[in-house]
Amino acid sequence: MRLPNLMFLMPALRSPDFPTVLRRYGLAVGVCGLTAALIFPFQPALDLPNTVMLFLLAVVLVAVLAGRGAAVLASVLGVALFDFLFVPPRFSLEVSHARHLLTFVVMLVVSLVVGQLTAGLRAQATEAARRERLARALYDLARELAGAMSVAQVADAVERFLLVRGDARGRLVLPADQGPALPCAGDGELDVPDEVLREVMADGHPSRLPRRGGRCCDLLPLAGATRNRGVLLVLRRGDDAAMAPLLEGLAALVVTAVERLHFVEVAQAAQLEAVSERLRSTLLSALSHDVRTPLTALYGLADSMLTGPRPLPEEARVNALAIRDQAFRLNGMVGNLLDMARLRSGRVELRREWQPAEEVVGASLKLLESVLAGRVLRVEGLGEQPLLEIDAVLMERVFCNLLENAAKYSPAESPIVLSAHDAGEAVEFRVVSGGTGFPPDRLEQVFALFERGQAEVPIAGMGLGLAICRTIVEAHGGRIRAFNPAQGGGCVVFTLPKGTPPPFELEAAGEVPTHA
Amino acid sequence: MPDATVLVIEDELQIRHVVRLALEREGLPVVEAESCAGGLAEAGRSRPGLVILDLGLPDGDGARFIDAFRAWSSAPVLVLSARSTEHDKIGVLDAGADDYLTKPFAVGELQARVRALLRRGRGRLDEEAVVRFGDVEVDFSLREVRRGGGPVKLTPIEFRLLGLLVGQAGKVMTHRQLLRLVWGPDASDNSHYLRIYVGHLRHKLEADPARPRHFLTETGVGYRFRL
Repeated sequence: MRLPNLMFLMPALRSPDFPTVLRRYGLAVGVCGLTAALIFPFQPALDLPNTVMLFLLAVVLVAVLAGRGAAVLASVLGVALFDFLFVPPRFSLEVSHARHLLTFVVMLVVSLVVGQLTAGLRAQATEAARRERLARALYDLARELAGAMSVAQVADAVERFLLVRGDARGRLVLPADQGPALPCAGDGELDVPDEVLREVMADGHPSRLPRRGGRCCDLLPLAGATRNRGVLLVLRRGDDAAMAPLLEGLAALVVTAVERLHFVEVAQAAQLEAVSERLRSTLLSALSHDVRTPLTALYGLADSMLTGPRPLPEEARVNALAIRDQAFRLNGMVGNLLDMARLRSGRVELRREWQPAEEVVGASLKLLESVLAGRVLRVEGLGEQPLLEIDAVLMERVFCNLLENAAKYSPAESPIVLSAHDAGEAVEFRVVSGGTGFPPDRLEQVFALFERGQAEVPIAGMGLGLAICRTIVEAHGGRIRAFNPAQGGGCVVFTLPKGTPPPFELEAAGEVPTHA
Repeated sequence: MPDATVLVIEDELQIRHVVRLALEREGLPVVEAESCAGGLAEAGRSRPGLVILDLGLPDGDGARFIDAFRAWSSAPVLVLSARSTEHDKIGVLDAGADDYLTKPFAVGELQARVRALLRRGRGRLDEEAVVRFGDVEVDFSLREVRRGGGPVKLTPIEFRLLGLLVGQAGKVMTHRQLLRLVWGPDASDNSHYLRIYVGHLRHKLEADPARPRHFLTETGVGYRFRL
């Protein structure tokens, strides 16, 4: 009789759990050997059938302890030992009687069947226990994820869940805006190149990378309601088919938790923002009202004195005029301060509408009537410009500030020119005034807010107005700068993007019908 | 005709004083109130021909007063606003106020606004057949516009817009009001149409369209026609 074919052991030897497998088959060999050794001294007293029974018992034992493969080995080994040690001729594998051959065959078949049945029962029991552990672990995971207060806790729960499987490890990778990428139990094999992660994030399809020893690294996208929230990396045995649906379920649980945390964060941030925004705007409008009320009274009273039915004595008239003008100046400064506070207090909310810049300039010139009285002002090229999508109130401030500066800091007899030009993608506006222009070494600083050393600048008080202009122009997507033209004086030039104006259909040509 | 009584509702004593002085110099009798509630009571007693209303009253916003006042009176309302947000102004104008003045204001400007509102109260301009401003003459009965003696051709929309603005001279018309009256209730998305047509009117009827003297812009709010 030839030795049994041991090729069935080969897959086990190739498997990564080789030592475990070796231990199991070693157990089979050991139990069979021990059985033979125990029976051997009692050989004369024991019948062959009893011996067979004891070997069968050994196979059952091996099947319970070491599973199917070991039970097969024990069956074959048992029959061989039985033949070699107990069946005459002893210490030989030769078979003298045909009935012994039948005994061997029956013994082998019974061993195999009993062994397989026992091992099957054991496997089912193990599987049932494993399922129960898994169910409990899933239940625990769901509860922990539902109560998790941070992404770190989510990662921790996932790690513990995967450990129940014993042979899997996980890592949660989230984009930077949802907290740091947190390793659960990262090591070299859980490191995945960024571009692979980004690809999984972008297209939302799970992917799998091979790893050493028949294992693999799963990349599971965390598909949220609105977008992918991250990637769950799982390192596990590649041949575990039951794992795939489990991991999908796991990813779904994790994404629910991550999304919940994300939205809680968003809601909290929004609430905080709303509260501070309300506080800010309440404060600003209270300040605006409280400061402007006495200013209004001051300005109005001085103006009443000046416009009264009886002319004032010259000295009183000059004083009243000074009070009125100073109150007006103070009002302008308060206005600029409040504007700046509003513009700087977070996002500048633009009420943009398509309109001709000419209209905004016209309104600004109307507001500056008294400031520009007696000055020569030329307005050029405004009528030819396309509609611009601008916040008229804010752009009015820009034109007012620029024209007021131009008037204030140039000789009274020099002209002021406001012009508009086509500059390709944008419309360019220029305000040119005479005089000495801007300090050549401070062309950029004049736009800065409360620039240190402002007091040294000969034209004090300029900083705030130009800083407001810059904030507003840049909020519109434009640029602003100052320079001194070669022919003298100063020039502020700024651009506003043209964009795509809305459609406009001129009404059907037709004149007003007359009754004539 | 006796001069109309003017009701001034303003909680600040000094500002009330300034307004009273300005009105009395115009020869207008003045009554005063310090709050919304007091203003409504006083309005019921004195039946004012004009109301000057501060927007920052301690007992409520001006829109509430206007709502209640408009229930029984069509007298013009001039709003004094210390706030710089255009939203508040649009709110009271849409509620039925006629004009607004931003604090601080010049006495002369206040007097001019009051005169314009009272004149409008006595007789609407569009009931007059011919209106003249600058070198422009509009004959509403003949539907003709002449400038410097020569005819000016207006499109139907331009003429309608001109009629509305001239008819409400002195009054601030919000963008929304004008859009609704010229283009219908669904036109509020097309505010650029209004701006383009006002631009046309300025180019046809103003001496310097960039510095209009009659078709004035109330930035962020609407337009005002000034004779």
